[in-house]
Amino acid sequence: MKNYDTLLNDLAPQKFGRKGVIWTTLLVVVSIAGIIAYIDQVIQGQVVTNMSDYALWGVYISNFVFFVATSFVSTITVAVLRLTKNAWRTPIVRIAEIISVAAIIMAGLTIMIDMGRPDRLLYLFIYGRMQSPIIWDVIIIPTFMAIALLLLYFPLLPDFALLKKHFKNTKPKLSKWYGLLSLNWTGSDAQKSIHIKSIHLISLLIIPAGFMLQTVDAWLFSTLFRVGWDSTNMGAYFISGAAVAGIGALITVLYVIRRSYNLENYITDFHFDKLGKFLALTCLIYLYFNINEYLIPEFTSKKEEITHLNVLVTGEYAPLFWFVIVGGLVIPIIVLFFKKGRSPLAIFWVSILVVLGSWWKRYLIVTPTLLHPFLPIQGVPEAWRHYFPSLHEWLITAATLAMCLLIITILVRYLPVIPIQRTADEQEQLKTGKNLES
Amino acid sequence: MKKTINYRFVFLIIISGFFLSINVQNLYAQETKKNTIRLKADYIKTMNKEIAFNLRASSKVDGSNIDVANIELTVFNEYNDDSVKLGSTITDSEGKSTFVVNDLNLIKPDSTGLYNILVSFKGNDAYKRASKSVTYKDATIEAKIITKDSVNYITATLKDTATDSVLSDQILNVQVQRLFRPLRIGPEFNSTDESGTIIVPIEEGIPGVDGMLTFEVVLKDNDDYGTVKAQVTAALGTPVVDESTFDERTMWSPRNKTPLFLLIVPNLITLGIWGIIIYLILNLVKIKKS
Repeated sequence: MKNYDTLLNDLAPQKFGRKGVIWTTLLVVVSIAGIIAYIDQVIQGQVVTNMSDYALWGVYISNFVFFVATSFVSTITVAVLRLTKNAWRTPIVRIAEIISVAAIIMAGLTIMIDMGRPDRLLYLFIYGRMQSPIIWDVIIIPTFMAIALLLLYFPLLPDFALLKKHFKNTKPKLSKWYGLLSLNWTGSDAQKSIHIKSIHLISLLIIPAGFMLQTVDAWLFSTLFRVGWDSTNMGAYFISGAAVAGIGALITVLYVIRRSYNLENYITDFHFDKLGKFLALTCLIYLYFNINEYLIPEFTSKKEEITHLNVLVTGEYAPLFWFVIVGGLVIPIIVLFFKKGRSPLAIFWVSILVVLGSWWKRYLIVTPTLLHPFLPIQGVPEAWRHYFPSLHEWLITAATLAMCLLIITILVRYLPVIPIQRTADEQEQLKTGKNLES
Repeated sequence: MKKTINYRFVFLIIISGFFLSINVQNLYAQETKKNTIRLKADYIKTMNKEIAFNLRASSKVDGSNIDVANIELTVFNEYNDDSVKLGSTITDSEGKSTFVVNDLNLIKPDSTGLYNILVSFKGNDAYKRASKSVTYKDATIEAKIITKDSVNYITATLKDTATDSVLSDQILNVQVQRLFRPLRIGPEFNSTDESGTIIVPIEEGIPGVDGMLTFEVVLKDNDDYGTVKAQVTAALGTPVVDESTFDERTMWSPRNKTPLFLLIVPNLITLGIWGIIIYLILNLVKIKKS
């Protein structure tokens, strides 16, 4: 007999406490400020930004690339761990799926924010050329979004059925919603068979889709003949970078949820230790690709490459560059090599550092390259040679990040953050010694 | 008490105002200082084709030279005390205009065999009237291609048309027509011999569309004869291979000429993935019904 009562008491969605309300209010306020700034940007045009004929992609695009990278988390933590039968994944997959959905939704919205005329988005479908990687991006983002939503939804079906029963007397309205969402789940053999098959199929599907998403994102840059982008390394470089950003974001959110909902019995130090090792591995791979990306141009010393590298390593962007490499990769790797460094609190701070490094890394990929065109325009204003986002850009960017966190917060509020049915099944398995089917 | 309008008084005021304003305009017009226009005219004859006059109008205004645009220049042929109007032309934004006469016999010489052309500007509010005379003698260049010992040459003879006598010791340029500016071939200076002739070897390997090359023999800016040009077209060049990909399906062509592999592969992948997505959604329906 499975101990559903204890699990439901621990894992069923709960009302926000005072801190939760303050947090949500803060996110709403930042989102509203960003929406106002965006409306002003639509009315006045992109003149309110600090973008120019040189920096025609600014913080919006780097933020977009960050969201796309973060959405990769479901591909690696859910699909890869599931297909490799890593049972320790159970308490973390739902949170990874939620982050993935929130990030890909915001990636889609952020790309629209970058458009001077958002109403012309339709033109991409009407007049788009299949030769353009931008069209591939337009195709892959909604596709990945659909798969990410299915990956979140399918495993929720048994949990919705449990929650329907759980809230039947205490919250009948909520119970009705869970009932609708559970699609009459009874746990019959026929349902279970379709369910297991479907989840397996989605896990298989999201891996190539995730790789395509990251690769297309990389090709947006590498198909352009520009210093810092014109590299065959870019696809793999972006995928490894996405793994770092995704796992970093996952650990950060995981730690906050564990503390907020007192889930120490479910999300244990063991999980943080495992995730810490996983993060260290992805950071090492990404560091390797970074070495490839910067060391080879340094060796070949083409004039334009050296100019670009000097700007990064010793010039205007040096503080950010070294923060990203040392703070975002080297220090996390060193800390994560030690067992104490993989304790929940330590790994939380390391992950914050990794996420910050990941965000600024995208900024460094996008901006400095644009400021050094192959064919400089004659007599450009000095301001065009530099770029730093305007207040409008910062407000809108902060709002997109806040909206992403708001989506995560709302989903965490109404969905069980740890799969209840699966946890119960695993407990049953421990008692009986039988293997689980999925 | 009802006010009455003195219509006669109002009418007088309006009429006075009208006449006063005309007067004021006249005063301003009289005060405006007109500038002097300088006209330049070059005579260019292309054998068996046309005669052209390259005209240019400029003026010195406030110490600096400016091109005078949008003014009408009239071209006259003067002979035997007659002045026959050939036509008129308007200068462009750079003060330039080309007046072309397609009928080579339209322009008549005077009794001394000289051709007199007058380019005239009748003046306007800003510029004084101006004119420029061009006098020239008619010359003829006969050019042809010959082949000696498997080498192609272009040969040309320069003659004074009126006296039908050859002109020796005159410099003729030999060139091939190109898109932006002609390509000079042969020695730098080709001086006509006592029979008024030059002969210049033609290099091999000059590219041309379908191998066609247009050679030009030019007597340039001669004091007596102006510029005279003879053209000969011959298939002596290396044919240009058309490398245009306009009709091909390329990565840089418009959407209706997308490469087939880019239409097939990504669309197959997209349809395949969306097929699975639809199958998964149908599975949700099955779960609900089972």
